This record gives sequence, C-alpha cells and structure tokens, in this order.
Amino acid sequence: MIVSIVTDWFKRSNKSERLWLLAKIEFKLRYYENKLGLLWALIKPLMDIAIYYVVFQIIMKQDTPQFASYLFIGLICWNFFLESTTGTVQILNTKKYLYEYSNMNKLEIYVSTLLSNSIGFFFNFVMFLLFFNFVERGPDHSNLQTLWLLPLFVNLYILSLATSLIISNIYVIAKDVTQIWQVFTQVLFFLSPILYPLNKFKDALPNFDYLNPLGGIIINARQTSMYGVSPDFKLFFFDFGYAILLLIFGMFLLNKLGSKAAEKL
Amino acid sequence: MKKALAIQAKGISKTFHISEDSHNTVKHRLFNLFNPPRTKKVQAIKTMDFDIYKGECVGILGRNGCGKSTLIRLLAGVFPVDTGEINIYGSTLLMNLGVGMSHQLTARENIYISASVLGLKIKEIDAIFDQIVDFAELKDFIDTKIKYFSSGMVARLGFSIAVNAGADIMFLDEIFAVGDMKFQEKAIKVFESSWIEGKTVILVSHSMDVVKKYCNRTAFMKNGSLMYFGDTDKAIQMYIDDNH
Repeated sequence: MIVSIVTDWFKRSNKSERLWLLAKIEFKLRYYENKLGLLWALIKPLMDIAIYYVVFQIIMKQDTPQFASYLFIGLICWNFFLESTTGTVQILNTKKYLYEYSNMNKLEIYVSTLLSNSIGFFFNFVMFLLFFNFVERGPDHSNLQTLWLLPLFVNLYILSLATSLIISNIYVIAKDVTQIWQVFTQVLFFLSPILYPLNKFKDALPNFDYLNPLGGIIINARQTSMYGVSPDFKLFFFDFGYAILLLIFGMFLLNKLGSKAAEKL
Repeated sequence: MKKALAIQAKGISKTFHISEDSHNTVKHRLFNLFNPPRTKKVQAIKTMDFDIYKGECVGILGRNGCGKSTLIRLLAGVFPVDTGEINIYGSTLLMNLGVGMSHQLTARENIYISASVLGLKIKEIDAIFDQIVDFAELKDFIDTKIKYFSSGMVARLGFSIAVNAGADIMFLDEIFAVGDMKFQEKAIKVFESSWIEGKTVILVSHSMDVVKKYCNRTAFMKNGSLMYFGDTDKAIQMYIDDNH
C-alpha cells in the first residue's frame, strides 16, 4: 500500500514539487519570522547540552568521554522526534485550509512538515560534525561509517511520521491527547539513552534498547558517527520493524479518523 | 460514443451524529464509558446514485438545508461517505466565498500553495502568476500576509486563483456574490469564457437565471433526497413548485 502511494506521488510529477514547496514555506514560517532565524534551530540543542553537561558531567561526575558530543548527537535525534510529534498534534487543525476545499491527500501535509524539520536536523548534524571533529577532539574521528546516519535518519523519519499520524489522528476524536502525549514524551526521554552512558543504561534496563524504538536509533547514530564502527544490525532491523508497523497503524488511523477531520475539527 | 466520467456516485449516503455534550476528550470518554452521549441522527444525504461526465455543467437546486452543501463536500472528497462509494477522476476544488488559504502566509505564498494543490507545476504557476495578481487587483499587496487583507481582498484572491489555476472538477457554491459589481462582471465574463468550456462544473445557486443559463443538467433535492436529475427546465419547475 505504502509503495503504491509513493510511486503514485512521483508519477503525477507535481507532487514532489508540492511537497518541497510546502516544506520550504513551513521552514520559512518557523525560522524566518523571528530575528535570529535559523540560529534558533541550533540554539535549542546548544542550550540543552549546556544544561545537561553541567548536571551530569560537573555535578554528578558521570565521566563520559566527549560528553558534549555524546549529548549533541543524542539530542538532535530526540529533538527531531519531539518536534515532529508534539509539534504536529494539531496539524489537521492548523493545516485545515489545505484539505478543506479540495481532495488533497492528507499524507502530503505530514510528509512536507517533517521534510521541513529534516532541514533543521541536517543543519544541526553538520554543526555536530564540526563540533565533534574540530572543537571537542578526542581519540575518535568521523569516518565513512558516518554515512550510516542516512539510513538511520530514514528510520527516524518513518518513526516520527508514524507517531505523528497516530497522535494527530487521535486528536480528531480526543483533544486531550496533547497533554497525555506531553507526559509520554517525558517518560520516553528519560528512558532513552540520551543522558546516560550506554553501559549504565544497558545494566539497569537489560534489553530495553530493543523495546524503545528511539533508543536504538540514538545508540546506532553514536556508534557510527562518533566511534566510527558499523551499527548494531540487530537493533537496526528491530527499529525499522517498529517504524514500519507503527506507520501501518498510523495510515490505518488516517483513513479511519483523519478522513473525518474536515467535519469534526 | 460514451462520455468520460468525472464523478461516479454509487449508493452514497451521509448521516451526521450530532451530540448535545461533546465527548471529545479521553477523560470524558473514560468517565462516560457506560453512559454514551445522546446523539441526534441527521440524515443529510439519503441513498442516491448518479454519474457526472467530463465537461458537463451540472446545477443543484433545492431549499436551504436540503443537503446541497453536504452533497458537494462528499463529491469533492472533503467529507467521507457513510455508505456507497464515490470515484473522483481528477483534482477538485470547492469554492464558496473563497478557497482554502492560510492567513499566516502572504498572497504570493498562498497563490503558489493553492495552485500547487490544484495540480499545477511551479513553472506553470510562474507563467500565470501575474495574471492571477492582476485579476485579483492586488498588485501592491502581493507580499503582505493575507491576515491584513480585507475580506473582499481575500475573496478576490481566492476567486482569482480558482479562475486562473482551476481544478479538473469545480464545485461552485453561490460564488457570484464575491466582490463589488465591477469584479462580479469580470468574474462572470471569465466564468463564461473559460470554465464552461472544458472544465466540469457543479453549480449550486438559488439564482434560477444562472442555473438556466449555464447548466445542461440539473438536480433537484429535497430533505436530503435526490428528487430529480435531468433536464434543467423541469428541475427549475420542481424547485419553483416546492417553494409555493
């Protein structure tokens, strides 16, 4: 089903152009409406890094090597997920003007919004590479294994798209999913290996990296882009599986609940 | 020769469930698990079948509340149907006092987005961009966010996008009320010159002159049922009888 939708998009040529147009305008709305522009996309993770660095490295003396870079890569993955899900809970409401008067495919609205978030992600990833290789220099460097980040990002994108589809379609029938999701993301944040060293995380919660679909992506992103080794393939396939399953469920909800958005919202 | 289909509706119907207290939060749903909300059923569209062919101009007549607007929303693919199925061959655009536009965006961005949603490529939009702006008489405000526009300006812009970009199938819900007299004259002129030829148009209007002038076939609706679909004069006669 998904493959046929994607091929259909590219056959009817103007769809890819439209997705890019919507993404560009979304991006401009988010970052160029204020004076600092794109810098905001960078300031957010930098501030977070500063806070967690002080808490975990200086106060709690966790002693993770290159902890700032360790946090950096974890947080940009996390922020992409957070922005793409929490930021899109009300997407069917805010983007109503797009589908209220025509038979536009609603999935395009999601894909383009996440595409716009992807621009921010890659901007931050470049900043991470510069920081890791030139500022916080350690024994390891980025090497060709860093390219694994592309498939890992595809995984992250599908996972975020799926989650976004699920919560925003539940929003059509239950408005307080916004609050529930906020609590849930807090739990997920602290149950992902973003702040702690990986071995402590694995000791305390054995096999939990297989249950948390975001945890594996962060672990593999670090492994490939910081330590220069190939990803943990078992984890990689697990996470792709989760993302695809959730996407199927999200598409089901979009057809079931999202189709009623025009009359319910 | 068999004419190409634009819209095929088979056994479609639509019922709205209107509840007095809205159970639209998780909390509400949990606390009232055994006490489902009282809903009132409103059968907006009763089961009907019909075909609309490419290039046709079809009128829809009926008194207020008979389901005209619901029907065109179903046909445009904006609302899902409860039963039956609708096959839509092409992009659709629903127009009632304006098309979908974001008030956060400028006129320029809205033109590009709306035209793109209607299926045009960026190059094609570039080509008709000036035409759209001139027609809407908004040359000086092209990079202004439309939230600062007057309602007349927004309506003109929407109309101009629809006229110049146009979807394959256009649903026009009382559109001849946009803008001042001069703009209306212009709108009717464009409507006659470009839409009647080539595009499939479904026209909802209380003005029988408009329907009589443009529509090859006309539907007459009453209380959600399709009473008649065919010859325009006969449909108009039924509508007049219904009003007396």
